[in-house]
Amino acid sequence: MKIKACALSSAALLAFTVQCAFSQDKPKPPPAWHQGKPAAMAESKLAPVPGKMTETPASEIPLDKLKLPKGFKVEVWASGLVGGRAMTMNEEQTRMWVGTRAMGRIYEVTIEGGKTSHKVLVDKLLQPTAVFANGALYVFAIDKVLRYDNAANGAAGQPVDMTAVFRLPPEQHHNWKYVRLGPDKKLYVPFGAPCNICEVSKEYAQIRRYNLDGSGMEVIATGVRNTVGFDFHPKTGELWFTDHGRDWMGDEGPEDELNRLSKPGQNFGFPYCHAKGVVDPDVAKGKKDACKGVTLPVTTMGPHAAVMGLQFYTGTMFPKEYQGLAFVARKGSWNRTNKFGYDVVTVKASPDGKGAKVTPFATGFMDPKDNSFWGRPAYLAQLKDGSLLVSDEQLGAIYRISYSAPAPAKKN
Amino acid sequence: MRLQVGGRWAVLAALFISVAYAQAPPPSPQAPSPARLKSCAACHGEDGNSAIASTPSIAGQPRIFLENYLVLTREGLRGSDAMQALLKGIPDREIVALARHYSGLKAVPVPGAVDRVLFERGRAIAARTRCGSCHLPDYSGREQMPRLAGQREEFLLEVMLQYRQNRRRGGDTMMSAALHGIPESEFAALAHFFSRLQ
Repeated sequence: MKIKACALSSAALLAFTVQCAFSQDKPKPPPAWHQGKPAAMAESKLAPVPGKMTETPASEIPLDKLKLPKGFKVEVWASGLVGGRAMTMNEEQTRMWVGTRAMGRIYEVTIEGGKTSHKVLVDKLLQPTAVFANGALYVFAIDKVLRYDNAANGAAGQPVDMTAVFRLPPEQHHNWKYVRLGPDKKLYVPFGAPCNICEVSKEYAQIRRYNLDGSGMEVIATGVRNTVGFDFHPKTGELWFTDHGRDWMGDEGPEDELNRLSKPGQNFGFPYCHAKGVVDPDVAKGKKDACKGVTLPVTTMGPHAAVMGLQFYTGTMFPKEYQGLAFVARKGSWNRTNKFGYDVVTVKASPDGKGAKVTPFATGFMDPKDNSFWGRPAYLAQLKDGSLLVSDEQLGAIYRISYSAPAPAKKN
Repeated sequence: MRLQVGGRWAVLAALFISVAYAQAPPPSPQAPSPARLKSCAACHGEDGNSAIASTPSIAGQPRIFLENYLVLTREGLRGSDAMQALLKGIPDREIVALARHYSGLKAVPVPGAVDRVLFERGRAIAARTRCGSCHLPDYSGREQMPRLAGQREEFLLEVMLQYRQNRRRGGDTMMSAALHGIPESEFAALAHFFSRLQ
């Protein structure tokens, strides 16, 4: 984080007003999340849902409210990771790193005999995430990239500052990053649109990939509003990614997306064409063929659902019908009268993205009766034993979902 | 009202603790320690209503706003150096208790002359720029969005200027964006209007 010298705003003011400002080269953008708000919705009081920034003890997590298909069980695997989101592990799955947004922390989790303990590896960063790659831990903040070498048994010492080679653009809105190592040993990094709806400059609304040393940057997908979750298809190696639809177009859409990149350079439509061909009413006015050349999603994922982590299930613990499915966490809506999402779903589709079917898997984080919620499932990870981890950003916890076949009924 | 009971209970608990215990008991999750409350009161007032022009009132602020502010300031990501020094090492459970305590107290605006022209001008600007869509139509705040009604005028003005001049540490990017397009010359009217609301 670049911090300018502290400035005293006025000699007459008390210490409370002594401020240090983040330096920023550009003027502020126009109101990012209010863009596109139509006159008809001007009185709407919908606003983003606040995160919880204090520790929640495991004993206060109402896991009994979660509903899963028969034979599945859920337990608290880790807690106290305030604001924890995306998870990354070493190959042996003895260490995990969990990033955050506002909390500015990366947690390092030690996994021993199925039990976890954790510490704060690094803090005071601007919305940092972590990815383990090639024996090193990469930490991506919005304005900084750090690399901890030889991190497999825990990151230690001074990281290498990689910021200069990655050349991250400055906007914060929609620019927290989900980063993943591809089968091609490159780092896949998204750059969201810094607005609700707007024409974007060439640095945003895209997914890029880089060599591990930050060289060889390529933009591999454009027209991507805000993807914060992806995985590589276990059969084809193709990138599948979730993407958030725009706000302030009403309760029913445009829906979030699950996309498939079948060749580098595809355009996914933002800002002109949303979901399965919804033409934008604000920026695509008078534009013919707003959806021409646009790669449409494998499936839409629900209005304002906030689709996050994506994990193809490659284990064998879960029953046959789950093997090969994509699990998707939907953190849940804010820009909608009645809450939507707050669950984990499965998506069944053929490797070329045909015939997609979305089915609820873990529900009960939200109660439609009073529009309340207690948890926000954000990211997924698969353990070697085939169980599935789900991070809950709201309560700073990670849950483990496992399966055991119901015992056959005994006959006397 | 539940909130008042909470406040009274905290005072009783404080008395009990200071009289009965020779050694400090672990702080209850419901009530902040008397020492901590005394430290807050020095600047923010005994009842959370500040008597210092540039220091904000914290009574009646939304609980989540207070929690978030205190955590992020402790972490060095928001707020002033002075507040960060005061919050160093404070555990989450005390932050939860402080937030609960002050959110339950009543905001009492400092009596001061109302400049009707400035007040009405501020009211019109706030309506035009839709401050109430987040801070609520009565500007009492909610969840992560602070109460504006009855806040110290000088403080409100300074915060808006900090946002505008990009020198607010850990400032919310949505708030920076919300101020976009409001001329600096209108900030004084907004600050006067909010500060005189009950």
